[in-house]
Amino acid sequence: MAKIDFLSLLRTLDRHRVDYLVVGGMAGVLHGAPITTFDLDLVHSRREDNVARLLAALKELDACYRIQPERRLRPSASHLASAGHQLLTTRFGPLDLLGEIGAGYTYENLLPGSVAVQVGEGLSVRVLNLETLITIKEQLGEDKDRAVIPVLRRTLEEKRRR
Amino acid sequence: MENDEPPSPELPTHSEDGVDLTLIRWMLSLTPAERLEALQGIVDFIESVRRENGQD
Repeated sequence: MAKIDFLSLLRTLDRHRVDYLVVGGMAGVLHGAPITTFDLDLVHSRREDNVARLLAALKELDACYRIQPERRLRPSASHLASAGHQLLTTRFGPLDLLGEIGAGYTYENLLPGSVAVQVGEGLSVRVLNLETLITIKEQLGEDKDRAVIPVLRRTLEEKRRR
Repeated sequence: MENDEPPSPELPTHSEDGVDLTLIRWMLSLTPAERLEALQGIVDFIESVRRENGQD
């Protein structure tokens, strides 16, 4: 199994100038929620030029699908241009590329509800804001999403109190 | 110098739904980069334990 290295994963995407938003558990952590996650969930722009840059980044990351990793199945441009979820493994750990999340939210829909966050030296990423993250978790309605909602809500309250 | 004052009773440690607010306050005292480092540290620790137990 590849060693998880979130920062190297983000730096690789940045080097290839991929347009994406950090969502999911990592977005919660970056906003201050004390939760743990083992993958990086991103909503990417499905524009043709961005998909091409993303494919180049995925090649460098040696990305293939987590299901049946022994078959080394790799995502294609048409996969990345779809609304579907590509659950990948990379040389820096699991990476989930999400064409849409919640009630049909795309990169373009979500971009206004995101903020730039400095995560390392010279590395700034766009992260879904906490309010929108909570709304989407509420829409998803799966147990794993519902479980984290109280922590996200209290984190938002504490942030507002400051 | 140590501060011997007890924590303020107006500052609850847990929310009504059981969320540990002290952990949230600690996370909010960090920069986003430090929060990422903290998560990476947890993941590294768990991965090392798994490796030592032959679960990799």
